[in-house]
Amino acid sequence: MSLLKADQITMQFGGLTAVNNFNLELNKNEIVALIGPNGAGKTTAFNMITGVYNPTKGKIYFEGKDITGLRPDQITSLGIARTFQNIRLFKELSVLENVLIANHLNVKSNVFEAIFKLPRYMKEEKSMISKSIELLDKVGLGDLKYEKSSSLPYGKQRRLEIARALATNPKILLLDEPAAGMNPKETEDLTSFIKEIKEQFDLTIFMIEHHMQVVMGISNVIYVLDYGITIAQGSPYDIQNNQKVIEAYLGVSENDA
Amino acid sequence: MTLDVFLQHITNGISLGSLYALIAIGYTMVYGILRLINFAHGDIFMMATYFAFYGVVIFSLPWYFVFVFAIILTGILGIIVEKTAYKTLRDAPKISILISAIGASYLLENLAVVIFGGRPKAFPTPDLFNKVVQVGNISVQRLTFIIPVVTVALLFMLLYLINKTKSGMAMRAVSKDHETARLMGVDVDKTISFTFFIGSMLAAVGGIMWALKFPQIQPLMGVIPGLKCFIAAVIGGIGNVTGAVVGGFILGIGEIMLVALLPSLTGYRDAFAFILLIVILIFKPTGIMGEKISEKV
Amino acid sequence: MKKRNLILTIISIIVLAIFIFYADSNFDAYQVRILNLCAIYTILGLSMNLINGFTGLFSLGHAGFMAVGAYTTALLTMSLAAKEQNFFMQPLVAPLNSIVWPFLPSLLAGGLMAAFVAYLIGAPALRLKGDYLAIATLGFGEIIRVIFTNTQNITNGALGLKGIPSSTNLWWSFGIAIVTIIVLLSLINSSYGRAFKAIREDEIAAESMGINLFKHKSISFMIGAFFAGVGGGLLGSLLGTIDPLMFRFLLTFNILLIIVLGGMSSVTGTIISAFVITIAQEVLRFLDEPMNFGFAVVQITGLRMVIFSALLMVVVLFYRNGLMGSREFSWDKLIKLFKRNPLVKGGTK
Repeated sequence: MSLLKADQITMQFGGLTAVNNFNLELNKNEIVALIGPNGAGKTTAFNMITGVYNPTKGKIYFEGKDITGLRPDQITSLGIARTFQNIRLFKELSVLENVLIANHLNVKSNVFEAIFKLPRYMKEEKSMISKSIELLDKVGLGDLKYEKSSSLPYGKQRRLEIARALATNPKILLLDEPAAGMNPKETEDLTSFIKEIKEQFDLTIFMIEHHMQVVMGISNVIYVLDYGITIAQGSPYDIQNNQKVIEAYLGVSENDA
Repeated sequence: MTLDVFLQHITNGISLGSLYALIAIGYTMVYGILRLINFAHGDIFMMATYFAFYGVVIFSLPWYFVFVFAIILTGILGIIVEKTAYKTLRDAPKISILISAIGASYLLENLAVVIFGGRPKAFPTPDLFNKVVQVGNISVQRLTFIIPVVTVALLFMLLYLINKTKSGMAMRAVSKDHETARLMGVDVDKTISFTFFIGSMLAAVGGIMWALKFPQIQPLMGVIPGLKCFIAAVIGGIGNVTGAVVGGFILGIGEIMLVALLPSLTGYRDAFAFILLIVILIFKPTGIMGEKISEKV
Repeated sequence: MKKRNLILTIISIIVLAIFIFYADSNFDAYQVRILNLCAIYTILGLSMNLINGFTGLFSLGHAGFMAVGAYTTALLTMSLAAKEQNFFMQPLVAPLNSIVWPFLPSLLAGGLMAAFVAYLIGAPALRLKGDYLAIATLGFGEIIRVIFTNTQNITNGALGLKGIPSSTNLWWSFGIAIVTIIVLLSLINSSYGRAFKAIREDEIAAESMGINLFKHKSISFMIGAFFAGVGGGLLGSLLGTIDPLMFRFLLTFNILLIIVLGGMSSVTGTIISAFVITIAQEVLRFLDEPMNFGFAVVQITGLRMVIFSALLMVVVLFYRNGLMGSREFSWDKLIKLFKRNPLVKGGTK
């Protein structure tokens, strides 16, 4: 059984159909990429899966359970975490706090236990902090844990955003253009980083990406969206040789039209 | 309730609604262009009545001359408020701008107390407006007819300005996107000032007619109408001028009818607007004629 | 390190207690009243800052919560004779007409009532954002006031309540202020507090990190309202009379002024600014009095409020972060300051 399945999901904004009958199947431990020109509806597809938008039509199943229309926080607590295209860190807060916040969904103590520092809460807080520090060490941000998150260099902010998503204990990680704005060296680091965390955290990864170097290098399956419609899906090799995909990216040549 | 009484209430409702509508337009225009609740708008409305009052009482000038003068003066006051309280904060967090708006509102009120005195003043009503007209069995003050006519006339003028003139086009462009408008050669600051000028002048017309209808003015008179008119703008769909007028009428007629049909709830009249607001915000947050603005993720 | 700070905190609380003991017997009634107001405004400022500053919800309904707290406390503590005197238009409803509670449970009941009202208001209002939330909470605050003006047999309507027992003294006001500070600091630094700040920083990201926005906003809103209710109860008892007009938007504005001046996400800033503003309000009272300029005596009524509203504008326009921004007092920082500057005398907390 697939881990995540989107069945004919469609998103309309007024008269505009941003995503039309999108189907998706993610199997455990796969890396799946979603590509397509700007405005193709990739982020909209992400937003439907993560609950930011409620699809106009269609169903989304996670581990066989219908999750369509759940709130983003409910979906995250089921085990789907994400990052954002334009980094959305909690800017004024420290690196450690950013990760700690992602741990909050596992806190069992109620607010009174937290205020009066009762034993159960103190135990949770302690383990939360040690877990977060451990995670930051793993992703190489350990030295920066008390820095304000907005003071980090761009590449590190991206990394922190991924670490923050990992802190929610996801089964699936959704990355929205993780390599955007990175130089070749950083992109290379990121590629190996994604592979690394996939193994380390036993993840399934679904990502939007423009850097073909990243996409072709690590994806098992690639989906191509154009104007909201899935024009191709398959292995990196299939996609590279797909006529429709080439047209979507390079435009239709005079003769064919 | 007989038909006559009912009609009487409706006329009053329309008249009150027209006043709300005029003030609501100012809120909606400013919100459309700056995404800001101009809390000082109600106080600008109050200031207009004092300008008119002093013109007539102290300088004993003819009323039509005074009214025009007061309206223009109020428009300039609107620009001053924008330049001092909002312009420097254009890129500031929303909460700072809102606080500044509240601060501007209080400053105007307190200045009015200091300059004009806290005690209410009787507003002189020219006889022209006071005459009672007899229509069938209902007797209506002439003013009650004049108010909606003026409102509708101004609405059409405003719609023409927004949709058919160059300044109107600039306003629409700025309301969509400041940066892009600037790149297209629109003078954003000037357009914003112009919007405040027009909105404040409309508030002045509303204020003067308000003072003619309820001829007692005092420094805090703008607070409750101000809040209600903002609500009218939200009901109609904030950012939409016609919506503001529709919202104004709904609120005005609704209030009068509430008191007429359920006299036991008279004390709750001022709460009616807020309840309506909350109902609208829950069920149709974009208002009756508003467009949906979704946040980009 | 931690132990040292705890000891220092305890010592400063003891110093404060000695000061209150001294003030209680040596200060005149007017000075004691101002000190009481300072402590009460600290409570009110902190409660509003939790909602507006730390959770980023622009709520303007604070006066409403205070009204609920003040009326609840007053109605529970007033003697039966006083109740009978007040309610000559319509008798007070049962069971309020036959019970008299001690001060502390009444204050707590006032806080709980305010929290309950916040729960009811929050259900629709907290689904709104930004400006809309501001105007809806302002509306609810007004609705509460209008209801209180019209429920003659519970609140005595526009006449208000007179003869509320004056139980508020420096021990109560400062004691509760300290409890408020401790509780709020503990909350803000807990996992829940971090969730609040996350919501303030970026709602969409917070929600994507598994934070239930509505639940956490409600918690913040209700805790804030609870302390606003307690503050209202203390204030009512200090003044001895309350009426619906007291709880106009102006009151919310005053508290807003405190948190903006102090810094929107600083507990320390709010405390300092509550004292500064309350004392300044009193000191500047001369502005409203006739002033003798030698050649003429001028009386400008309302000048004081002009200065306060201008002050708010100046702070927002030019010192947006207020006194403290989001910085907080800490013993470590103070001690560092001492070490660097051994000649400078440090004040107490």
